[in-house]
Amino acid sequence: MERIFWVECRQCHGNFYCDYTLRNAGLQLICPFCKEKFLPEEAASLDERWR
Amino acid sequence: MAKDLRAFLDELRRLGQDELVEVNKPVRPAQFDVTAVLEHLTLEKRFPTLLFCRPEDLHGQPSRFPIVTNMFATRARCARALGLPPERDKMELSLAYADIERHRVPTVTIPQSEAPVRESVLAGNAADLAILPIVRHFEMDLGPVLTMATIMRDPDEGFYDVTFIKTFYKDQPRRAGLTIHSPHHLRIMKTYEQRGEPAPVVNVLGHHPAFFLGSLALAPWATNDYEVIGAFLGEPLRLTGSETWGEDFLVPADSEIIVEGVIPPGEKEICDPFGEVTRTYQPQGLKQAFNVTAITHRHNGIMQDVFSGHEEHWYLGSIPKEGSMFNSLQRQHGCIKAVHLPNSGVARFTAYISIKKEREGIAKRVGMSALLESWQFNWAVLVDEDVDVFDEQEVLWAIYTYTDPSRDVDVLKNQYNIFHSAAGNQKIIIDATKPLDTVSPAKIQVPAAAMERIKLSDFGL
Repeated sequence: MERIFWVECRQCHGNFYCDYTLRNAGLQLICPFCKEKFLPEEAASLDERWR
Repeated sequence: MAKDLRAFLDELRRLGQDELVEVNKPVRPAQFDVTAVLEHLTLEKRFPTLLFCRPEDLHGQPSRFPIVTNMFATRARCARALGLPPERDKMELSLAYADIERHRVPTVTIPQSEAPVRESVLAGNAADLAILPIVRHFEMDLGPVLTMATIMRDPDEGFYDVTFIKTFYKDQPRRAGLTIHSPHHLRIMKTYEQRGEPAPVVNVLGHHPAFFLGSLALAPWATNDYEVIGAFLGEPLRLTGSETWGEDFLVPADSEIIVEGVIPPGEKEICDPFGEVTRTYQPQGLKQAFNVTAITHRHNGIMQDVFSGHEEHWYLGSIPKEGSMFNSLQRQHGCIKAVHLPNSGVARFTAYISIKKEREGIAKRVGMSALLESWQFNWAVLVDEDVDVFDEQEVLWAIYTYTDPSRDVDVLKNQYNIFHSAAGNQKIIIDATKPLDTVSPAKIQVPAAAMERIKLSDFGL
């Protein structure tokens, strides 16, 4: 099971999650609800808790 | 006539609305209309094949392609697709599958001019994915996704590999993303990538259900899957030259719709989330890009889809695996009675195995072997031969009655599974067999002689 992180879209505030390899890859995520593209650090919020 | 999807739909049509429902009301597949209908039916425990005759395409226009879905949603229908008795839909079906997958039927190649799938050929800019009524399945899905089988050809050994791969529409006419996770497809793709060459991929969006069931056989590397599929069809699979590569890449001639394209070396696309077989979403990630080169189809080609994370998705996993797993475990241990991958474990995580237990400790040995049968397994549950592994209530009864958590549950840590669940990278064996090294209560039963003597019909029941 690979690590994931949750993202809150900066535009529509929809929540979705990504493989952790995208966290610091310098790639724009795509919001599945509004198609907004943004870097993880531009998200309205991130939830990276993992155990 | 060669076997195709239409012939099978005709067979289902004759059987009535339990098997095939034709929907003439217009639907918007990209707006969840199709999956909402399917979910309602599932909640009512109704599992017909659905033929949506008037879907919209991704341009919002009436599509020329109807959608068929939920084809594999009952084991009985899967049995029927393989020409087997539908009432023998449990272990007998899985064993029959395992028997068929050992056979090979050579293919036949027909001229392009005779191939039904080439009745219409769209190449170049005309090959627009948005003309298809691609289904968006679940709320958090990145977008509409094609869910059927893809074909790759090994550039060195020349064999064809067929498996199920998701194709993500990327809001461009000829661009998509592919989420390849099957080992053979990955290996072929990496060979092309190492050479810096585009990898040809063909997407088959409709064929006889035996084609797709056969594509899931656990065939070893370098097997020509076209010949395996022929065994499942019970006749040679008809092939023809593709639009893009001609005779260098043969495609199934009786497909409904084919999308041809290439994976450009090194190019990636953001794909997922997608509501997966696990009933959770695969996380967003970076996957292979796919450039469409041609779409060919039959007149009124029918686009097939799988209702992922539901019955048909699970049976596509359990039926092929149960039989091969039974044979493998039986060869090793000789005491196996039945194997079932239950829908509660999404037909991927969990195996229920019944054994004829003759000594203490054998259940765990079988459990260890079972967990090696698939990297997707997390749980192996062992029960006695008198427990029907296809009846989950019986299996759970055995766990709650016979499993001593301090002795009968083992956890193997630091394993691997790509799917997300709390068990994650652990493998768990639950021995729910009746212990032989201590006394324990007996299972209740009405005497067999009384059951034989008494008939419900004698009591007006």
